[in-house]
Amino acid sequence: MPGVLIVEDDKELREMLKMSLIRRNFTVIEAENGKDAITHFKPFITDLVVTDLIMPEEDGLKVVIKLRELKPSIKIIAISGGGKVGPGSYLNLAKALGADAIYSKPFSINELIAKIEQLLDNEQHN
Amino acid sequence: MKRKLEISDGNDYLKYLTKEKDIADQIINHSRSMITIINREYIYEKVNSTFCNAHQVVLDTILGKSMGDVWGHDTFQNIIKRNVDICFSGKTVQYEATFYTPQSGKRHFEVVFRPLSIEPGKITHLLAETFDIDDLKTSKQAVIEKEEELRKFESNLPIGFLRCDPTGKILHANQAFLMIADCHDDMLVNSMNLKSFYLEEELFDLQIEQLTESHTKNFGRVSLKNCSGKEVPCRISGFLALNGSGAPAYIDFAVEDCSRELMLENRLLQAQKLETIGSLAGGIAHDFNNILATISGYSEMLQEDLPKNSDLSDKVSKILGAVKKAQSITNQILTFSRHVEQEKVLINVSEVLKETIGFVKSSIPSNIVLKSRIPKMSANVLADPTQLFRVFLNLMTNAIQAMEEEGGTLSVNIAVVEKEFVQHELNKDIVADEYVLLTFKDTGEGMEPSLIGRIFEPFFTTREVGKGTGLGLSVIHGIITEMEGEILVSSKKQEGSVFLVYLPVSKSYSIINEKKNSSRKKILFITGNKYESRILSLALESAGYELVFISDGRNFVKVMTNVRERPDMVIYMIDSKQITPEDLVGIFRSQKILTPCILITDPTQEISDEKLLNSGIISQQLTKPVSLKEIRNAIQELLR
Repeated sequence: MPGVLIVEDDKELREMLKMSLIRRNFTVIEAENGKDAITHFKPFITDLVVTDLIMPEEDGLKVVIKLRELKPSIKIIAISGGGKVGPGSYLNLAKALGADAIYSKPFSINELIAKIEQLLDNEQHN
Repeated sequence: MKRKLEISDGNDYLKYLTKEKDIADQIINHSRSMITIINREYIYEKVNSTFCNAHQVVLDTILGKSMGDVWGHDTFQNIIKRNVDICFSGKTVQYEATFYTPQSGKRHFEVVFRPLSIEPGKITHLLAETFDIDDLKTSKQAVIEKEEELRKFESNLPIGFLRCDPTGKILHANQAFLMIADCHDDMLVNSMNLKSFYLEEELFDLQIEQLTESHTKNFGRVSLKNCSGKEVPCRISGFLALNGSGAPAYIDFAVEDCSRELMLENRLLQAQKLETIGSLAGGIAHDFNNILATISGYSEMLQEDLPKNSDLSDKVSKILGAVKKAQSITNQILTFSRHVEQEKVLINVSEVLKETIGFVKSSIPSNIVLKSRIPKMSANVLADPTQLFRVFLNLMTNAIQAMEEEGGTLSVNIAVVEKEFVQHELNKDIVADEYVLLTFKDTGEGMEPSLIGRIFEPFFTTREVGKGTGLGLSVIHGIITEMEGEILVSSKKQEGSVFLVYLPVSKSYSIINEKKNSSRKKILFITGNKYESRILSLALESAGYELVFISDGRNFVKVMTNVRERPDMVIYMIDSKQITPEDLVGIFRSQKILTPCILITDPTQEISDEKLLNSGIISQQLTKPVSLKEIRNAIQELLR
């Protein structure tokens, strides 16, 4: 089953994302901040990453850049709820840096999972 | 001490006389004045050396000459003779004259003629003395001019200036003080005591005491009340002058009106407060969005696990509905705190205003008159038109609500003003040569002065609980500030409120506009609300799209079935009454149309969109209010 890395500092939200993905039989790897995500990144078992953008330690933009560098074929979805600059601009930046899709919080989990499946589906077909 | 005269014979006496004459001649000759003695025939009999030197003549050529010979016939007849004759009648004559001397050129003199009696009982001669008063005259003139200058300076001074006696009685007040006192009768002011202008009269006594000790003192801000009873905050400083014996002679006061300064300070404080609240609220909104994402995520999972249309599933739907409402509030907070980036295009403000007025007019209560004068103008601003629509709509709705009970008039105006005018009004840096000034004036209930400063704070509301979140004006404030504009308000209880919106005019050409002619994508807009959709269309057109509006079903079928006319995208607003969700699904299915379709739902309307969402034709769903950024991102995503 495809492996999805969740990078999110909010514990409850991370748990929710994890549960919803496990329900759909994804293998889930968790990281609570950008630094953890980058240092413990396992390219062979990670096909897609869902990352928050504003986090302590390394932020999500760094995750987008670094993981894309470590594994160019990885799919990236950025999620954000706004902070000092607002979710819009961060998300757009993430997109410009190579995120395949962006969602501002709160989002529909079904929509997010549909997107994950679509991205990984395309991957298989290619 | 009297000199003792010792004379033994005539020779001695002659010697004595000669000596005395020498002394007298020397005194006369060394005098700085020109001295002459003239007889009744106007002939010079005696002339001193000062006179000769001034005229650069030798003594002999003057003696025996008549005044007419020396001064010229005309001058003698017209000026000199008259005065000389008066003197011969027994009076001393004194006058000023300007004349030329070879020694020092043209100068100003004072001439004095005194009658002389060489023979007793008869005026036989006159003594003429002429003093050079040119330097004196020049310095006198200079003093007069200086005084005049000072007087002008003092009366033009923007600061009130007062001279009072040591008890505070006003001796003199300049124009600026009369303005502050709002009294245009300076006689009246000049009979008053400065103390009577003090709001706290004891304070004045205290200040006089302080001045007696330190002579110069800055008292800082003091509240005065002017002749019309209005309180005027002033900055006052005093200077106590002493007379020769060291006692207080007078006190000068400088009185500066600082109401404007105080107002600006207050505004700045307000702005800082809003900024602080904004960054607090922004942080909270961020955390809330995380929490909302968790709630909605679990709710969606729960809904999947529950049988469809069951009682439990309905309850979960309610939770999801509440999440959407909460999301709309966090979005508003983020807009207020300017944590949401606005997508801006070059847009004509008057067009957006016109559409908003049209929208408001369709639902305005009959007891309220909407007066608007929107001239055609080409002033463009950089803005998200949907946000601008929100600003205008909110201000007009507020005004209407303020007049709901009693009725009244809402006046809306728009004008372009020069920056010179604006810079006195605004608290922030001037960023453009011109500003669009929008005025929204109502005759409603108005506000208490204490509330005016707080109306832009989030969650501040004067309405009953449950009527409005108190976010409307905060959001407006955020939007306008983001545009580098400013919103100002003035209000009077029972008279109404005026909101002034200043937006910087943009002279730049939108980069997006230039894309217009290259591959324009055609978007079909299905909507019931023409004003609101026209705002979105203004936004999208300036973003480079071609918009087609459709409100009736037959046209829709025609457009969609004709392959050449078929649009690149369909945007469906759920408020359309002519084309129902069923119609939409029907046509898409029967014609096997794959055109991407964006659905815009309205959280305040209870129209079911479930069928539509489950039909598979909707590519993306947006919730009102939709910002230009959201819709553009959605369109770009789908047309990629």
